[in-house]
Amino acid sequence: MSQLSEEFLVAAAQKSADLTHRSTIKRNMDSYDTAVAKGQTRFADWEAARARSAQVKSEGIRNLASLLETFETKIIARGGHVYWAENSEDARQYICDVAQRNNVKTVVKSKSMVTEEIHLSPALEKLGMTVWETDLGELIVQLRKEPPYHIVTPAMHLTREQIRDLFLEKIPDDVHGETHQELVSAARRFLRRAFFSAEMGISGANFLVADAGMVAISTNEGNGRLTTSLPRIHVVVTGIEKVIPRLEDLGVLWPVLATTGTGQPITTYSTLIGGPKTADEIDGPEEFHVVLVDNGRTEVLADEAQQELLRCIRCGACLNKCPVYRQVGGHTYKSIYPGPIGSALMPIFDGVKEYGHLSYACSLCTACNSVCPVKIKLSDHLLENRRKYVAEGDARLSEKIGFAGFRWAAMSAKRFAFFGWAGRKVLRGALAIGLSPHALGPLATWTKYRAVAAVPKDSFRALWRKQNGTH
Amino acid sequence: MALTNTGRARILDRIRKAHVAADPTIDGVTVTLDQIYAPIGDPMERFLAECKANLTEVKVTGDLKSSLHAFAELLGPLPVGTLYVQDDPTLRKFADAFAGRHVIWSSTGRAPEDCQAAITLCEGLVAQTGSIVGSSRAGGRGGSIIPPTHIVYATSDQLVPDITTALRKALASDLKNASYFGLITGSSRTADIEKILVQGAHGPVKVAIVLEIK
Repeated sequence: MSQLSEEFLVAAAQKSADLTHRSTIKRNMDSYDTAVAKGQTRFADWEAARARSAQVKSEGIRNLASLLETFETKIIARGGHVYWAENSEDARQYICDVAQRNNVKTVVKSKSMVTEEIHLSPALEKLGMTVWETDLGELIVQLRKEPPYHIVTPAMHLTREQIRDLFLEKIPDDVHGETHQELVSAARRFLRRAFFSAEMGISGANFLVADAGMVAISTNEGNGRLTTSLPRIHVVVTGIEKVIPRLEDLGVLWPVLATTGTGQPITTYSTLIGGPKTADEIDGPEEFHVVLVDNGRTEVLADEAQQELLRCIRCGACLNKCPVYRQVGGHTYKSIYPGPIGSALMPIFDGVKEYGHLSYACSLCTACNSVCPVKIKLSDHLLENRRKYVAEGDARLSEKIGFAGFRWAAMSAKRFAFFGWAGRKVLRGALAIGLSPHALGPLATWTKYRAVAAVPKDSFRALWRKQNGTH
Repeated sequence: MALTNTGRARILDRIRKAHVAADPTIDGVTVTLDQIYAPIGDPMERFLAECKANLTEVKVTGDLKSSLHAFAELLGPLPVGTLYVQDDPTLRKFADAFAGRHVIWSSTGRAPEDCQAAITLCEGLVAQTGSIVGSSRAGGRGGSIIPPTHIVYATSDQLVPDITTALRKALASDLKNASYFGLITGSSRTADIEKILVQGAHGPVKVAIVLEIK
């Protein structure tokens, strides 16, 4: 069992017993569920919207090379730069080089999971730059020195009181009250100074639009607009899988993303950026860079069983619906992408040995499949990862022996009946002499929290025969 | 220095080598926009209803004079401070409404940090979501995001029924050459603290439209 796997089990047990945490998450999730249910009623046929979204993303993945080349050509024609980064280090190095070449002192960032994935902020900070997250939730977790709790709502786990105390400690001069409105205003005042002093703005991308050669970025707060408008340099950091064929596809994708992300009809600022300011424009960045990050995505593409994972639009719906995520919370996963999509992707991105255990943080209830707006069958991928986990030899020895034994026993009806009979005998005997159910070997984890049912005298097949008279 | 695109060919090569088959359950299904969205009967009625829902204030006017009056009504309650106005002959006609205030016209530069309001034109209006189509040519990138109030002057002939139509129109026009354009739907907002909606996160607290019927 890996270190991360053990840490997951400990953190999961602690978090699921933390009633304050559960109550905070429940309030957030209930609010989300209500908003999304209402949002879906705006569509004549929500399932048709999901089907179309999946088609567009699938078309993007099937034509990835040509669409990325079309996108690149258009960006370069507008005076932008496109860099293809094979891995995290490559992407970090390029962005750090651009920053150093331009003598950047302050960087503002709009929320981007890919920048978390490539560990960009620490690299810039190591070079002496100040980096500010500008999404409110991201700023909050940055001030707490925590990773995002959720890919859409990074500070979902915190209460207003916790955020008030944090702001009073970290940005006291900007705090003029403690209501929700006043705390938001405090962050606004604090970040305004950063926006107007930053030389570089870094954003992610929700979509890369091939035929228009533009980057689509959705934000509600407007931090994305400020990040991409005020600094002299704008760098977009994005996965290669974000490309879609046509601008008009956003007529479905924008409303679908907003609905599954927050329940809104559309995100407040649904923005398209194609390059640096043009000669006849009055403002905007003078330099524009798009960093196309591979970092394992072409490996996902090469795997026919798992390539559909590249359709993901990072809406967070699978996290919100997952009964495991709702109990253990985002930080327990200790991975950049938590929840079902993270459990599916992280073993591919960062290794089955490190993250294979996350595939087991799932009851295979398939709730994630039912809400995914691009129809990814997430539970299939978790099963596939489990197969890889075992095939690569990372499963526990006791598990391997147990399943090998079960397989051998189950291959013969006689052996199966014999071991069933023996098992019942041993179990009844153990309980009869007062052995604690918690000491029942591999069943200990199960019996720790559950009463052991009475062990029947007869097997299921014997009971069936008695009742029906046949096999 | 990692400034050469040495990875480009390798990434494209890996993509091309991958076999990505169409999935009949996804790619073999026909889905039309008519299936996804209900038809929009009266675009103006829908637009006004959506604006009401997303908290955009709309003042419907019938002519230049009533538009001038609408601007005066919107600007009246604002605190003393600079107005940033897109330098366009259409908006110059409303200069009387700005009397007594310090006005910076966009031809002199970008919206200043401390301006109280920006007044701009727009590229279109979308009935489906009650959105304004903004661009870097309508008050620059900053005009619609820096000040706490953003007032847009639009005419009813700019209204399109849905997002798809707005985007098709953009791609067919010169708008596609703007370095920025996009939809602005209501004021800046956040629900990052306990899912409680707060307006005015980083951008305008208030968005208003003076909508002249043509």
